Amino acid sequence: MARIVAVLASLLRGLLQAAFIVMLTFFLCRVMPGDVVDVLGLEGGLTVEQQVEMRRSLGLDQSLPRQFADWAGQALHGDFGRSIRFDRPVGEMLATALPVTAKLAALSFCFGIGLALLLAIAATARPSRWLDATIDFVNTWSIAVPTFCAGVAAILVFSIWLGWLPVIGGLLVPVLVIGVDNAGQVVKSLREELREAVMLPHVRTARAKGLSPWRIAFAHVLPAAMPIVLALSGLVLGGLVAGSLTMEVLFALPGLGSLTLNAIHGRDYPIILAAVTLIAVALVAINTIVDMLHRLVDPRLA
Amino acid sequence: MRPLLDIADLDIVIAGRRVVRDLSLTIAPGETLALIGESGSGKSMTASAVMGLLPPGARIADHARLRFDGALLKPEDDAAMRPLRGRAMAMVFQDPMSCLNPFMTVAGQIDEALQRLGTAAAARQRHGRLLELLALVELPDPEAIAGRYPHELSGGQQQRVMLAMALAAKPRLLIADEPTSALDATVQADILALLKNLQRTLGNALLFITHDLAAAAELAHRIVVMQAGRVVERGPTAAILDDPREDYTRKLVSTRQMLATPPQASPVARVTLPKPAEPVLRIEGLVHDYPARRLFGRPFRSLNGVSLTIAPGETLGILGESGSGKSTLARLAIGLAPAAAGEISLFGTPIVGLARLDRNLRRRCQIIFQNPYGALNPRLTIEAAMREPLELLGLSGPDDRARIEAALSDVALGPEHLARYPHQLSGGQRQRVCIARALLSEPELLICDEIVSALDATVQMHVIAMLKALQARRGFAMMFVGHDIEIVRWVSDRIAVMHRGRIVEQGPAATIVEAPAESYTQRLMAAMPRRPEMTKLIIDSEALPNGAASLENH
Repeated sequence: MARIVAVLASLLRGLLQAAFIVMLTFFLCRVMPGDVVDVLGLEGGLTVEQQVEMRRSLGLDQSLPRQFADWAGQALHGDFGRSIRFDRPVGEMLATALPVTAKLAALSFCFGIGLALLLAIAATARPSRWLDATIDFVNTWSIAVPTFCAGVAAILVFSIWLGWLPVIGGLLVPVLVIGVDNAGQVVKSLREELREAVMLPHVRTARAKGLSPWRIAFAHVLPAAMPIVLALSGLVLGGLVAGSLTMEVLFALPGLGSLTLNAIHGRDYPIILAAVTLIAVALVAINTIVDMLHRLVDPRLA
Repeated sequence: MRPLLDIADLDIVIAGRRVVRDLSLTIAPGETLALIGESGSGKSMTASAVMGLLPPGARIADHARLRFDGALLKPEDDAAMRPLRGRAMAMVFQDPMSCLNPFMTVAGQIDEALQRLGTAAAARQRHGRLLELLALVELPDPEAIAGRYPHELSGGQQQRVMLAMALAAKPRLLIADEPTSALDATVQADILALLKNLQRTLGNALLFITHDLAAAAELAHRIVVMQAGRVVERGPTAAILDDPREDYTRKLVSTRQMLATPPQASPVARVTLPKPAEPVLRIEGLVHDYPARRLFGRPFRSLNGVSLTIAPGETLGILGESGSGKSTLARLAIGLAPAAAGEISLFGTPIVGLARLDRNLRRRCQIIFQNPYGALNPRLTIEAAMREPLELLGLSGPDDRARIEAALSDVALGPEHLARYPHQLSGGQRQRVCIARALLSEPELLICDEIVSALDATVQMHVIAMLKALQARRGFAMMFVGHDIEIVRWVSDRIAVMHRGRIVEQGPAATIVEAPAESYTQRLMAAMPRRPEMTKLIIDSEALPNGAASLENH
């Protein structure tokens, strides 16, 4: 019972944060110089009268709080409006973009965390200079090399020099680039955490019981490191949303990132707001799930 | 009879330092051997070596020979040791809370040990055996305990679970490494009795590692005393206690003897004082709550209607087990935590509700904490650390350095310590610096919160003897918070016994210890490990520290 209340409380906190993010985005969009009508006007050569008429029909002439209230009211009913530029329902556009981003994020996350776990566990089980050097290299790589640089380099190597892969549309290269970046962010902390976990008194007890090294690793050492794995995973997942934006643009993947970026350039407010809302809610969901898993793993938190 | 465990010429080296030197000992089947020593004497290292559980970086010299039942042990070969661990030999550790896996139920952890026995027993049979084990270590309601996680058990229950786990395979050698030192006095006594019982029924040999002479006396057939990695004395328990040959052993034995005689100095101080007009500290109906940790949770009431007074020059001992609220009381008495209800007056000034004590009050009462490692800033030299209170209390003057030197010499530390940092001092020296610092402002009330419980036995005695000598000279009043009955009794004029946030009994120290009226106090006193012979021993006047002057640097 207390468990459920605690999870609900953290969910509520998260949703409040999400609402705040969305509100902030709404007002920030309007602070940017030039609105959607200006952009369309420059492109399409609209007359001043046409522009005024368009603003009125879109409701852009009303006060900002009023506009936000209108938008929020509709959004709460699941209606995110129509794209101003493409004149298509926003929901439909998001629905086509979301799977691309979700696939990219999920694959890079699994690859990244998997790689980090593999390296950290191997280095703990069989300490060696080479493994530690590899871990240091991956860590330094992720700090020093931005993903967009690595992405460009990867295009150069795989597609242009080796001619292996299609540059456009293939997920493999972006997953590799983002995954290594993610692994680098967490592998060092994981390694340290495991190094300390094997020294814990209850692990010594397990050794005194005469258990096999595998049993000790999976039943006694890993659970002790799980809270950190979960916390780091949450961070990485959060960062993926931002990370996928540049990768999608670079590799021309028609995902949420590309959609949002184009919408920002075109001041296509409904898409920006819908995308930001989606991302904020996804982050809240991730946090809640991590929190729940944390409670599941560690009985002391219940 | 062939010894079960035979250790010959054991040398353990960590980073070039020999932590165990030329240690040889044997344990016969079914025998209990106590390995006694203070922290850092190498006794736990010896036990770890037998189990092959030495920390990384520790090496056993090549000439060492460890034999278990005649067969040579290879402690550094994990694969060779594994079949023995949890079968022929098992180990129980000091701190059961951290030694049990917090992510696994009791049943899961014991079952792991049972699964290892290789007797392809069915899950149901193993469960039956598990309940049998839990009943063997005298846990009530084994079925319920089995399903719990370690954090849902008390310290004593956790240690019983550890024991059940170690006994799963009916080992021939049980190693118990300070199994009771993390537990409360009453629980300690229960666990010691259980160990003794189990050994009688199971017939295993027991290597009992402890720093507590009284506990060893209760359990062991033979005692081996270690100091700085060497065996300094060995022999049958009675012989060691009655006729210790080595200097170090005598000191260990005499520290307990010292407690049997009251300090001569203390009454003198009070006689010279004029009739006390008002108590230095008066507490009336004090209540303190720790806030609830979650919404709608109930706060934890750590103090529930505590009343006491301390007269000038008097020492009131606060005796209680962990969680009884005694440290909270000490912190409230000096205004370090807010009271929920009740009155506290320090030197006649009510302090409940004051945001902070004024300078004058703070000068007149000082507090010393349990952990001397945390109480001194690691980045300040001893001189800087001692200057601080003078400056903060506005007592600073041109003769600061002379005063600090005088204060240090009061606790038998020379001026050469002024430029040192805390990590360059031993635990006892650090606590003496803390005492000197607290006494710089010449307080009229000194609150001592478990000030010796982090120190080794011989050092404990030096510190409290010194404190009593200082009190005799200066005449300050003390609130002495502690859990060690003998120490609190030795230091205090009166004792208040605390249990679950209340004072259950209060009175003259001798009455509380010798003739307690309340049932809780009676149980507490009965749990104190005591050997009749120990108090009967002729008191060796040479070994008794009479005051600060006779103290060596510890």
